Amino acid sequence: MTEVGSLATWAAMATAARQRIAGSGNPARVMVQWGHCSEAVGADVLYRRLTAALSPRRDVAVIATGCDGACFAATQVVVERADGTTRFFDCVGAGDDLSAIIASVDAGGPEDRARPSPNLEAFFAPQHIALMESVGSINPTSLEEYLASGGYRGLATALSLGQKSGGQKSGTPEAVVQLVLDAGLLGRGGAYFPAARKWQAARRAGSLTSRAAHRHLVVNAEEGEPGVFKDRHLMEGNPHRIIEGALIAAYAAGADRVVIYVNAEADLSAERMTAAVTDADAAGLFGPNALGSEFGCTVAVRRGAGGYVCGEETTLLNTIEGRRREPRLRPPFPTDAGLYGEPTVINNAETLCNVPGILTGGVRRFASIGLNEARGTRLVSLSGAVRRPGLAEVPLGTTVRQVIEQVGGGVPDERPIGFAAVGGPSSGILPAAELDVALRPGMLHPSGVVMGAGGITVFDDSASPSTVTLKLAEYNAAESCGKCTPCREGTPRIVAALARVASGDGSASDIQDLRDLSEIVGAASLCGLGQMAGNPVNSLLHFYGSGLGIDGG
Amino acid sequence: MVEPGDFRRRRERRDNADPASDGSANAERRERQSGLRRILRERFPQRVRSNLLPALHFLQHEHGYLPEWALQVVGWHLRVPASEVYGSATSYSELRLDTPPLLVITVCTGLACWRAGSDELLASAQKTADERARVETAACAFICGVAPVVGVTGQGSRRRWLGRMNPGRLAAVIAEASQ
Repeated sequence: MTEVGSLATWAAMATAARQRIAGSGNPARVMVQWGHCSEAVGADVLYRRLTAALSPRRDVAVIATGCDGACFAATQVVVERADGTTRFFDCVGAGDDLSAIIASVDAGGPEDRARPSPNLEAFFAPQHIALMESVGSINPTSLEEYLASGGYRGLATALSLGQKSGGQKSGTPEAVVQLVLDAGLLGRGGAYFPAARKWQAARRAGSLTSRAAHRHLVVNAEEGEPGVFKDRHLMEGNPHRIIEGALIAAYAAGADRVVIYVNAEADLSAERMTAAVTDADAAGLFGPNALGSEFGCTVAVRRGAGGYVCGEETTLLNTIEGRRREPRLRPPFPTDAGLYGEPTVINNAETLCNVPGILTGGVRRFASIGLNEARGTRLVSLSGAVRRPGLAEVPLGTTVRQVIEQVGGGVPDERPIGFAAVGGPSSGILPAAELDVALRPGMLHPSGVVMGAGGITVFDDSASPSTVTLKLAEYNAAESCGKCTPCREGTPRIVAALARVASGDGSASDIQDLRDLSEIVGAASLCGLGQMAGNPVNSLLHFYGSGLGIDGG
Repeated sequence: MVEPGDFRRRRERRDNADPASDGSANAERRERQSGLRRILRERFPQRVRSNLLPALHFLQHEHGYLPEWALQVVGWHLRVPASEVYGSATSYSELRLDTPPLLVITVCTGLACWRAGSDELLASAQKTADERARVETAACAFICGVAPVVGVTGQGSRRRWLGRMNPGRLAAVIAEASQ
């Protein structure tokens, strides 16, 4: 069957891209994994050195890719030779001797490098790679490579979904909403709200308020949660996938304005994201009449300016509008009155990365991974006392212990796990005995431990749980924006009482104060930052309360 | 308590502060202001509030910080009250209103870096850095996979994060950057 409409337009673009790549005359590729993580160990210097050394060779292309998640092996260099074989190098330092890498471009290079190192293979073996599929192997700033690998086919599929056989030019957005609802895609920012429900709500709200001139789709790539670095990896490794997901979401929600909101610190992410937006725009993917359909929108990249609270969705809207970084009261929800008072959908970057795969692979394939109540994979930012820290992609439902021991390789130096901080400062800590909980939405433990944005920091048995909890509480107090009283006044008092407890000077009344404060701050604060600020304390008191050396604690 | 006439007297004092350059200081200020307005008109032709943060980012990029006089000009251009420009500028942790020192050393004290020894790095940085440098901490640099990390910012240059740090190497980095 010949494809028609948007799919036919896409197929022509992809074929043209493949031909241009084939005609470029670079049969060998040297891929330097240059992400924000490996940049800190000199990947940019390494890239420039390799580029300079190989510049006389017209048959070799040196490419800066993203980091594939194995930060512990940074910097990785992968050499794809003209004969189709591959050579792998890891932990390459900025000043290292590069002769082995350069020699490996031709036959006769080191044979022991024909496979990734055992450590790398052990890191990836327990994972289920979907979102990270081409991160590290695709040139993030090449639209052609993305198109040639099947990119933007999800958008073409979305634009023609629900198309009637008889002559109708394009499909219906409602069909896309229904498909993603059926797939059961939940938001990956931390609240796990069904993504397509937001699209539906914004679409309906827009038709009710005739004064709204626009609908907006905001891509939340603020990623300000300490210990989480997943969106940066996606933006640096495969920015077009985020753009494709955002375009599909914008189409489904009826949005004509897309804003991609990138963290203030993430310069490399913003650079690659902006380059990808420029290329996609030049290729006509933002319309008008994108891929021959009636869909079109504008896409802008905006930068944050620092602060955990900026990732809170209404604060993020205030930031874009040029206001102070403070949350807004809800309702009205952003889908009714968001950016400039107009219907606005805010989706996390990782959430949107799932969307193209649902369109091309179908609902059943997506739903076959993960849990019934939460399908698909989850990007987990693993750090702390593990042999292999980095970004892992695992099916939802994988246990915290599996991530730590199988992906991370357990605690180094033959020490046992002490506890793990899961889900960042809005969550809490889990002692070693409690790590068999599955990663899922909602509470991992009723004392206030949640998955959040998927950060896990591991500690061995020498670390003090109360000191780590104190650090989480201090973070919450420092990041409180000051708008609402319970959070502004309560979080520093939590810190003060906890500091006494952690240093051994605490009394029973400090413990009671901590319980009261975390309850009040949690119940009366305006936004999620305050509402969840008591969680670290609650989990500490629950698991370690009797060990704090205080009577009545 | 402010008395009537106070503001007039204050203005006179300010304008007569340096009799030799009287008038020329004002002219210089006006020149600086109109220069920035021209640039803002070009870069941000839409005089809307949503351009506030991009304009502040632009200023910080140009000057390394946000000079007070420039905040006022941004307010004029975007039609946002100066008090609210100031309010926004001071609510974001990445924007600074003071001139940056020659060298800023940022030690990440997030959980992964703390576990990997950020306390010793902080102590080492404070010991090594001279008075022209400022040592500060960051709650997380989001580079936890290569912890511990330290940021180095020279005057007018972008912050460079360095991973897998140790006190000895940090001392060498600071010594080199301070030259």
